[in-house]
Amino acid sequence: MSWIQILTYLCGAIFIVAFATKLLKYATMPMHVRWELYPIPHEGKHKSYGGSFYEEIDHWKNERHKDHLAQYMFMLPEILFIKALYEDNRSLWYWSFPFHMGLYLSIAGLAFLAIGAILQIMGLPSSTALGSLAQSLTILLGVVGYVLGTIGVVGLVIKRMSDPELSEFSAPIDYMNLIWLGAIFVTGFLVWLKDPGFGISRDYLVSIITFSPMKDQLTGMHYLNLLLFLSFFAYFPFTHMTHMVSKYFMWDKVKWDDNPNIGDPGVDAKIKTYLGYPVTWSAAHIGAQGGKKSWADVATENPWAKKE
Amino acid sequence: MKPEEISKSAEQLVDLNPAKFATLPPPYENYKESPLVQLSDDQKTRWEHSLDGVSALTLPKPQTPEEEEQLVASFLLGLEKLLTKENNWTFLQPLALSLEYCAKCQTCAEACPVFEASGRQDIYRPTFRADVLRKVAKKYLSPGGKFLAGFRGHDIELTWDLVARLAELAYRCTLCRRCASVCPVGVDNGLINHELRKLFSQELGIAATEIHEKGSVKHLKFGSSTGMTTAAIGDIIEYLEDDIEEKIGRRITIPLNKKGAEILLVHNAGEFMSWPENPMSFAILFDAAGIDYTISTELAGYDGVNYGLWYDDVQFARVAIKHLEIARELGVKKIVIGECGHAHKALSVIADRLLPGEQMIPRESSYTLLWDIVKSGKIKFDPSKNDFPVTLHDPCNIVRLMGIVKPQREILKAITPPGRFREMTPHGVANYCCGGGSGFAIMSSGNFTDWKIKLSGRKKLQQMLGAFQGEMDPEIKKMVCAPCSNCKGQIRDLMQNYEVFEKTGIWYTGLVEMMVNAMVDQDAPFVEWPSDEEDDDM
Ligand code: SF4
Ligand code: SF4
Repeated sequence: MSWIQILTYLCGAIFIVAFATKLLKYATMPMHVRWELYPIPHEGKHKSYGGSFYEEIDHWKNERHKDHLAQYMFMLPEILFIKALYEDNRSLWYWSFPFHMGLYLSIAGLAFLAIGAILQIMGLPSSTALGSLAQSLTILLGVVGYVLGTIGVVGLVIKRMSDPELSEFSAPIDYMNLIWLGAIFVTGFLVWLKDPGFGISRDYLVSIITFSPMKDQLTGMHYLNLLLFLSFFAYFPFTHMTHMVSKYFMWDKVKWDDNPNIGDPGVDAKIKTYLGYPVTWSAAHIGAQGGKKSWADVATENPWAKKE
Repeated sequence: MKPEEISKSAEQLVDLNPAKFATLPPPYENYKESPLVQLSDDQKTRWEHSLDGVSALTLPKPQTPEEEEQLVASFLLGLEKLLTKENNWTFLQPLALSLEYCAKCQTCAEACPVFEASGRQDIYRPTFRADVLRKVAKKYLSPGGKFLAGFRGHDIELTWDLVARLAELAYRCTLCRRCASVCPVGVDNGLINHELRKLFSQELGIAATEIHEKGSVKHLKFGSSTGMTTAAIGDIIEYLEDDIEEKIGRRITIPLNKKGAEILLVHNAGEFMSWPENPMSFAILFDAAGIDYTISTELAGYDGVNYGLWYDDVQFARVAIKHLEIARELGVKKIVIGECGHAHKALSVIADRLLPGEQMIPRESSYTLLWDIVKSGKIKFDPSKNDFPVTLHDPCNIVRLMGIVKPQREILKAITPPGRFREMTPHGVANYCCGGGSGFAIMSSGNFTDWKIKLSGRKKLQQMLGAFQGEMDPEIKKMVCAPCSNCKGQIRDLMQNYEVFEKTGIWYTGLVEMMVNAMVDQDAPFVEWPSDEEDDDM
């Protein structure tokens, strides 16, 4: 096995472990108090102006209907077209959109490269109809993605540097991240020029999937692109670029979490656990006694009550 | 200005220039804004004011370097606690997410009324205080935080200057969460500010006097943040009954502590003192509609406010639990919350996961109940009695943060003649805060009053004037319906400062007052205008 194959497994493992750890960290945090923000799409079309169940008399007596489809219909343009940015920050969207679209398309291209590799392992190389379809999609999505991504990166770097409102709040690392991604897009494009059917890349992926030695020798450009990509892959989960995590949690678990407390045993058990947590806040009015008191204690005490 | 500059040693970080403040619509297009009231030299020597020359907290300056160090250390310790589940299970997840993820796109800044009104002062950007906190957390609390801190963008110096300025900065945001509603990655800078206030209060005992000592402490000590005692509330209710009799020629009994009543009605007790016509209107409407309700005279039971919502989870929980206990003891089926925005959100939304389900009592908005009354036809309204242009203010807590948008609009449409009601731009969930949110309406220490009128309220003033353009003749009386006690307080202060009624004929009132004004059974007009008083004096 070559060093580049070992590096691929290593970076893949780092990505999976680090990303899973991150997801787990947020997923296992205590259920917070409600902090929703309207409009909430699952309230349905008839409440699309931002209405909630609080508009109904005796709302707790009504059966709750959540319009999950409306939620997906909201998320789709948000993820694909970054609708919020389009509506509220158009000048940035002009660059952010091609950048993100470039990322999505090149990831989709990579997925089709993997599908092509699997087909090849199954005896359906690119000379077969199915293999050739996978190959065509790899080329189309990958190349368009690289071009769009590069345009986006160049635009974003220039915008971030030239707009004082953005440059004031940007650090060298922000530029580095963008340029790094840009380098992946550009070298990806150059790989395509050297390897127009992505045949060498696919063979490499076959060797990774089957844990076997590589058939073809990778070109220098393949190596460069791979090194840039793999290192970024391993680095990515440690950065704030994983904002799809916040997008999921902040929407689904915060802004749209309007589930009322109606005595669900699971929710009750959680609340009871939290009320038992020790409090160590130091301000005198809390009266936490350095953790001797729990939330239930401090919340039910009234330090100013008249002593009977 | 970069967030790192908050540690800069300087007498004052920013000078607020009124010439740069956002302009106002006619008839204020040539209005020359006066400079912000300055603190006296004596106050300057005593209070921290090095952020923007404003002191909302009258925070005493530490006397020795040791005291400064101690406060800085406490701040860091507090930040650490804020990030633990034991000390902050209530908000840990959204806080941790908001601190970790910010794409630095500044979309939120465009949505912030304070930032815009100030003429785009960097210190008021929603991201500014969030970024300071984020950088301190990264550099001082995360493993290897100091490694390449400059390159990674969090090389900030944690000094007393930073802490003192951040304490004041926590009180330059109304927690309206307009910024959060536009952030493309879901970051909630309003929440970060809320958490910052908690850190200061819960660890260092630093909070605005009006919301802590004179607010939630009084609430728990005497029964109301107004200082109104349990002994006094009975008399006050009697006065209201007298006033109702005087106004409508009929005595109505306001039920007190009625066990087994259907509804416990909770008002913001500030209404009893500043706008008694509001609880009076509720009494008139509920009586006419045959609503079975009661008001409590128990400690905290007659004051629905909960200032802890703005700065302290423990104070919040203490008051919310009292409200729920009182309702349980009375055996009511639901609590109905009067015209108070933060009381709505506190008791309905935030308190919802404070206790196990079986200890909860359903809570309902008075808007919803009032709409139900209108729909029921139990009260006859004559819209022509409200024959003046009307616009509606959306209290953030009830609208953007609770999703109650339609009932108040439907009511207004039912009680005003066609064409009289017009929306502000923008409105509903995209509304702007009155500028008195998060406690500002009741805060008046140092020179803060001037700041909240000229800056946090500026956007609302623009909107109110904007709604009546073309009808600015002061002879045409126009009404802003503001169904929230704190919003009314802020709007009152805005109107006084800019002499809005005198110059434009725009005044303000609550929703129930307008409902009573339109009742067929009501002979004399119920809604009062400042010019009525002048007429009476003549
Ligand atoms: S809109 Fe969101 S991501 Fe953009 S700067 Fe503001 S908080 Fe950060
Ligand atoms: S919560 Fe409102 S006032 Fe505070 S930063 Fe956000 S938009 Fe501005």
